[in-house]
Parts: sequence; C-alpha cells; structure tokens
Amino acid sequence: MRRAPFALAALALVAPGWAALGPRYGGDLTVAAVGPLPRLATATPDSAAGRLLTSLTQASLVGLGLDGLPVPALARSWTSAAGGREWILALDEEARFHDEVKVTAADAVRSLQTFLARASPSARALAARLAADGVAAPDSGHVVLRLREPFAAPLAPLAGAWITGLAGAEAGPFIPTYEAPGSRVALTAFASHVRGRPYFDRVAVVASADEEHLRAGLATRESDVALNAPGVSALAGTLLLVLDPRQPVLADREARAAIVSALDVDAIVKRFLPGGVATRSLLPLAVAPSSGPAAPSTRPVSGVLALAVSSEVPALVSQRVVAHLDALGLHVTVRVLDPAAARCSDAAGRLIVFVPEVPEPTLTLRELALLAPQVAGAEEALAEAEREASGQQRRAALEKAAAALLQDKTLVPLAAVPLSAGVRPGIEGVRIDAGGRVVLEDAWAVP
Amino acid sequence: MKIRLRARLLLAFVLVAVPPVAALALLEGTRVSRAYQATAVTRLESALATTRERIERLAARAEARVTTIATLELPAMAGSEGDPALAESLGARHDLAVLEFVDARGLVLSSRHFPAGSGLPDHDGRFPGNDTFRIERAAGGYAVAERLALEASHPALLRHERVTVRGGSFLDGDTIGDLGLAAQASVALYDAVRRRWTAPPDSPLASWSPGDLDAVSAGETLLAGRPYRWAASPLCPSLFAVAAVPRSDLDRVLGAVRRDTLAISALALLFALAAATFVSQRLARPIHDVATGAERVAGGDLAASVPVATSDEIGDLARAFNAMTGELRVSRARLIQAERVAAWREMARRLAHELKNPIFPIQVSLDTLRRALERDPQGFATLFRETSATILEELATLRRIVDDFSDFARMPQPLLAATDLNAVVERALALHRDRAGPVTIATSLAPGLGPLQADRDLLSRALGNLVANAIEAMPGGGTLRVRTRAEPEAQVVEVQDTGPGLSEEQRTRLFTPYYTTKKGGTGLGLAIVQGIVSDHGGRIEVRSEPGAGTVFAVTLPAAK
Repeated sequence: MRRAPFALAALALVAPGWAALGPRYGGDLTVAAVGPLPRLATATPDSAAGRLLTSLTQASLVGLGLDGLPVPALARSWTSAAGGREWILALDEEARFHDEVKVTAADAVRSLQTFLARASPSARALAARLAADGVAAPDSGHVVLRLREPFAAPLAPLAGAWITGLAGAEAGPFIPTYEAPGSRVALTAFASHVRGRPYFDRVAVVASADEEHLRAGLATRESDVALNAPGVSALAGTLLLVLDPRQPVLADREARAAIVSALDVDAIVKRFLPGGVATRSLLPLAVAPSSGPAAPSTRPVSGVLALAVSSEVPALVSQRVVAHLDALGLHVTVRVLDPAAARCSDAAGRLIVFVPEVPEPTLTLRELALLAPQVAGAEEALAEAEREASGQQRRAALEKAAAALLQDKTLVPLAAVPLSAGVRPGIEGVRIDAGGRVVLEDAWAVP
Repeated sequence: MKIRLRARLLLAFVLVAVPPVAALALLEGTRVSRAYQATAVTRLESALATTRERIERLAARAEARVTTIATLELPAMAGSEGDPALAESLGARHDLAVLEFVDARGLVLSSRHFPAGSGLPDHDGRFPGNDTFRIERAAGGYAVAERLALEASHPALLRHERVTVRGGSFLDGDTIGDLGLAAQASVALYDAVRRRWTAPPDSPLASWSPGDLDAVSAGETLLAGRPYRWAASPLCPSLFAVAAVPRSDLDRVLGAVRRDTLAISALALLFALAAATFVSQRLARPIHDVATGAERVAGGDLAASVPVATSDEIGDLARAFNAMTGELRVSRARLIQAERVAAWREMARRLAHELKNPIFPIQVSLDTLRRALERDPQGFATLFRETSATILEELATLRRIVDDFSDFARMPQPLLAATDLNAVVERALALHRDRAGPVTIATSLAPGLGPLQADRDLLSRALGNLVANAIEAMPGGGTLRVRTRAEPEAQVVEVQDTGPGLSEEQRTRLFTPYYTTKKGGTGLGLAIVQGIVSDHGGRIEVRSEPGAGTVFAVTLPAAK
C-alpha cells in the first residue's frame, strides 16, 4: 500500500514523457460528428463531416498552406513558362492510388477534366481561364496547364480537384473499408500514401445523435475526436447572413442595410462565439483590413422573414440574431437545415457558417459571389483582382471586390468563426487546416 | 278499404304497446340529459378550480424563491462581475425555469430562459394591470419563442447595482395538460390580448376563436367539429382559464338510451305482434269459420257447419250458426217436398185439363153414334163418317199433347258446332213461310256475323217456335220482322210481330211451363225456347206493350 503513491507519481512523470518521445504508429481513432454522415461518394466540403471524409480519402495535385499558397501533394513541384500562361507540374514518383497503382499524368488529366466539368467555384474559375487544350500530359510524370492569360494563384483551384485512378481508386491517406450509410464509415491507413503512412492503423467516423451525446462520448472515451466541439480550432469559417433581395421583404437595399446595422455583432461574438472574431469583411482575417461597426440605422423593417439556419451555427447565436431582427420589426420564422441544404436554401435569409471550398482569397470571393449573384460591379472587381499578381495591388483589388460584394447588403459577414474539434487527452497531432478540415494523417495516440 | 279483424287487432296491440315505451325513452333521455348538464357544470367548475389552485401554488412558490434569491443569494455574490451564467446557475439551484435579472435601464443582465437575450432590452409582453403573468421571450431551438410565464419579481442589489429579479415558471401545455385529468376536461389558457392559446398539443381548445370571454363565461360550441360545453374564469384581465368537456359523453349515453329504447320497443312490438296473432287466431278463426260457412250456405251448401271450440260468445255464435243451417236443411227438405207435390198437382191439373178437352168431344161423338145406331140405323153411316172424323181429329190433338209433354221431358243436350246464325234464321223462316198466310215476313240480317258455337237443329227449333208464335199472334195479318246483329262478344236475333201485344201479367208468366194464352196451346213452347237458349249460355228477353206488338230478343255468346 505504501508503494502506491510512488507508483502514481512515477506514472504522472512518465506520461508526458511518452508524448515527448514523438509519434507512434498503430492504434484506432474514433471521430464523432453530430447528425447523419454524408455519403462517401458524394461528400462535399459544406459540412465538417464532409470536409473530414474528403480529407481522409482524397488527394489533389497541390494543397494550400495557411498563407493560401500552394503546397506539394501528388505533384512534387511545378514551374511556369510562357510568361505565366503555362504551368508544368511534376508528379511525385511515389504517388500511388489505394489499389497500389501508380498515379500517372493521364490519371491527373482525366480527373482534372472531370473536375472542370463540375459547377464548383474553383472549377469554374479555372475553366474560365484555360486555353482550348488547357490540360495535357506530355508524359506519364508531368501535367501541363495552359492558360489564355496569366492570372493570380492559377494553381489554387487544383486544391479542390481530387485525383482518382482509372478503376476509381482514390489516393488519400486512408482507405475506406466499410460504410453504414449515414451512421458509420470505417477506414484503414494507406501505407503507400504520398506523404507516408498515417500513424493510426484505423479511423472510424461515427454519427452522434446530438451535441450532448457528442460531448458525452468524448468524456467517456467512446470517441477520441468530436467535430465542432471545443478543442483544436482554426478561424476558417465565416458566420454569414445572406439576404435574398428577390424576396419582397428584402427587396429594398435600405431595408437590408437596416438589418445589417441592427445586428450587434460585437456582442454576439463576445457573448456567444468564444474564439470568434467580429468582422465586417468577406476576406480572410489575414487579408481583411480592420473594420468598424456598421452605421446605426433607425429604419424599421416589417414583414415576415423566413430564415434558414445551418445546424453548424450555434443555437444561441441564431437566437440572438432572431432577437435583433424581431426588435427591428420583422417576424422571423426559423428553419434549421444541414449545412449543405442551408447554403443553397431559397429562404429569404440564410444564416450559415461559410467555409470556402478552396481557402484562397480570390476563389473565396468567387464562391461568395455565387451566393449573391448579380451584384453590380462585383464581377469587374473580381476579374481585376484575379489579374493582379503583385502583393499590394492584388490586396487592394481584393478589397475592392469584397467592398463591391458588401455594398449591396446581400452578404452580411458577422464573424470569423473557429472551426474546432474536441480531442481527448492522449491523442496528439490533430489539427485543422486553412480549409477547416480536421487533419488526422499526422495524429497519433500516446501509448 | 277493407281492414280485416286480424289486422285491426294487430294494430290495436301495437298502439297499446309502443307509446308507453316511447314515452319512457323520452323521459329517460330527458333525465339523463339533465343529469349530464349538472355533471358537466360540476366537472368544468372542478377543472377551473384545480387550475386556479395550481396557479396560486406556482405563484406562491415563485414568490418565495425569488425573494430568497433577491434577499439572500444575490447579496452574497458580490464580486463576480458580469457572469452571464448567473441566472442559469441560480435558476437551476432553485428550480426556476424562468429567471432573469433586469437592470434599472431595462436591459437583461442575465437570463436563464433566454440567454441569447442578455444585454438586450426586456421586451416581454405584459397583461394590462398585472405583473404575475407575462409573455416571455425564450430560447426555442434556433429561434425565439414567446411563452406564457407566471412570475414573481423582487428588487435586489447585484454588485451594488439595483436590479429586478424576475422568476417563475412557464405555463405551457405540459404544465396545464394534467389540470383537467381529474375532471376529465380539457383545460387551456387564453390570452385575449394576443388571441393566443396556451394549451396541450392535442387540446381541442387550441383551434377555437372565442368571443368576448368577459361577457360570456360559459356555453356550448363546436371544437374540432365536435360539440363541447365550456366555461371560462379570468386569471387576470385578458387572461382566462378555459375548461371544456365534450358533449359526446352525453351523446354516447343518450345514444345508449335510444338504442336500449329501440331494442325494448322492438321487443314490445314483437311481443305485441305475437300476442295479437295468438288472440286474433283464437278470436278470428271461429268468426272466419262462421263467415266461410255462411258463404257456403249462401252458395246452397246447407250441409256447412263450423266447429265449436270454445264455450264463450264465439262458441255460442258457432252453435247458433250450426242450429240455423240445421233448420235451413229441414226447411229446404220440406220446401222441396211441397214443391214436388205442387208440381205433380199442377202437372195433373194441366194434364187433366188438356186431356179433358179432346176426351169430351170423343165421348159426345161416341154417345151420338150409339144413339144414332139405335134410332136411325139408315143414317148411321153418314153420321159415323162425320163423327169418326171428329173423333180422329181429337185423337190427333191427344197425340200432339202427348208428344209435347214427351219433348219437354226429353229435351236433349245441345251438340255445339260452328253455326251461322243467319243460316239458322233462314232455315226456320223457310219452314214457316208457307203457313204465314196474310203475314208479311221481313228480314234484316247483319252480314258477316261469324260462326256461333251452337246446336243448329235445337237453335232452329227454338227460332221456329218464336216465328210460329209470332204468325199465330197475327191471324188477321201483319208484319213479322226478323233481325240479326252483332254485339260485343255476342250475336242477337230479334223476332218482332205487330200483333196485339202482351199485358204485364202475361209478360211475367210467359216462360212458365204450361202457361198459354192460345186456345189449344200446351204452354210448353216458350219454356222449350228458354231451355234451349239457356243451354247455349244465352238469354231471351221480351219487350211488349198491349196493342204495340211483341219483340223476342235472343242473345247468344259469340264463339271465342
């Protein structure tokens, strides 16, 4: 009995020591997310679970760093020619698909052509600037992009393009082995991943009934990581109110302006968004200038406002926004939808956590412009921003484009929102990238 | 319309049996309805009283706990600055679903039921002249809900700042859902200012739009398509507790009473029918037997009798009937005997009369011959020739009389065959045309009469008798008209003379056998005619006035 205190003391000293010894291979990781999981085949980056599943299973030619610049992925390096109109990407010779077939330039070209046919913002941005034979494979190890004219960040759209093999095999860090639609996805580590084998042997993504169960599961170690729970985080999302000017109650720009000024964003962030940063800009914080509060408006707005709220928005934030709109004279009816449905809802108002498909400023603004179409002057400002390559002019052009989008009072940014994941003690290396994805390929468990 | 005795008896029994049962059902229905009304009022009063008691208890509880928080808890919390979870922790500790702290400017410092409203002005809905009930803005998922709350408030100091502590509980469907259980009533609260119900989700009251509850506090109405009795009691100005009980309970009981009444009525009706059938059989059958017997007697069957089954009045009737038919049988036997004797006497009289006429001349002739033989033998031969002629003539008369009687006695049955009436008329006229003498014969025979089913010889004999009578009726001459014509389903032949006609008495006795107006007639000719016509299914009529001639019309059925 006398030895017990000594043993516990020794264990307390040794445990941190294990972590200090560095990553270890092996072990299983369970990730929980609220609500039904998206299907693997159709997962999109609109929700935290969708972003997680794509980052676990898919791989692109390039990734994006926290600074928005491309980083190697399946492509090891790249060079430009013809004054920035031609980009040659060299594939990593070690790149393999899940079926152990080598990733070739032909696979990349075919996947890119599939990607360019999609309606995603980054695909449309790239497709608009590619020459007639814009994507080519001169040999099995190189992919060539030919542009009609040079533009800023030409490789950024590639971060949203998943490369798949001829047989449909993917190239992400984990191989999906089992899917119970909506409730569970099991994956196993891909030993031949281009950046090396992940540390965990297996990852399971499971659906949790609600936030309470999610947190309880983390506390009882039923799960190791809980999406959207407090823990590791990155300010990768934007709390965004989208007002549809086609709806009668919001047709008047002054009415929309009154709504913007009625929202006490600072109080919302201070009281209900821990870790968030109040913002009035559409640009990422690293790019956005500081902005003051909106000019107060005393104009009353009356009518019924149907508001679609993404389930990723904290309930208290939604209640507070509704309270502000109520105080303005609006009768607000709320409908809670999953993130993807809320984003494309036809409700008069949409309160969503916006996470760009590709976290590059120009592409982000392009994607936002799709939420508020037909804003006067926005397209010209965006085109100008895409043409500018140098730092200062490009930043000014981006600010101009963002200002043009904001001027219509259709897009109302409220706060930079931390996208987070709760991680139980003993799990190391979990991080969230600039795109809001929970990255698990570098995670490991302390023995 | 003839209603038989049995039907009348059945109707009488039904009329006797059903009205008392119907009256009983009506009485019971009225009693049940009154009892329900009284019970419904009691249930409504009980539900409303329970509601008031519950609300008073909740108010007292809120008062006590808010006072504790304001006077004991908050002063002890000095130092913890700006704690948004203050209301949550104190509310949880004191089990107050509604708890908020409002500063002197009217801003919500902390709220348990609407954390998202912290820092915002307190915009809760009020009821005129009342602070206990409020419409609180509360968290409702991702939206803001407005919920009826019962609260107490108390001033307090929070970190040296004057605040108002307001706390209590929500009055929602869950809180009031069980209030009417004991009284089996639906209970809900009605906000007359906002025209809004606070009611359990399935409450029928939730869809009702009541009128001015200050003016009318009870009544009946349709809720969700069903009749309800309701009563309202004000909790504060513009807020009412309303209770309702379905009339379907009464309808159910009344329905059961109606069903039972119908069943009992049906049983009573069946019983009445059975009893009526039994009694009517006992009563009507002997009467029916007597009636049948009477019909048989009327048809000539005097052997009819009815059974005597009872010793009551019906039995007396049957016995009287049987006695009557017995008397009738005896009387008829006597009558037949008397008629037979009378007929023989008449026959003897007629025969004696008829025979006497020729016998007397024969007797006189023979006496004359005998005296002549004794007195004048020389002239006897001459006298014998004359007298024997007279005797032969009278003997011929005797023979004719005997033949007529023989014919009448041996009238044959007609042998029916297709016969042309006009041809029969022509034949009869041809036999008598030579004996017409000064009588002119005129015929008017309708063409295309079609055949009759008749015995040609018998019919010819009958017509011949009529023609002969007519000729004999006009010894000084006249006109004999014979006409034929068709009538519906019959053919008619008329024989008309222009003779002296018949008196009323003669016309009445014309067809009586042995009645004659002619010297030397037997009185059997027209009787034979009537017999032949009758055997053919026809009829003979006579029209005559003294001095205006006579018409005999024979109507015979046409062949089918």
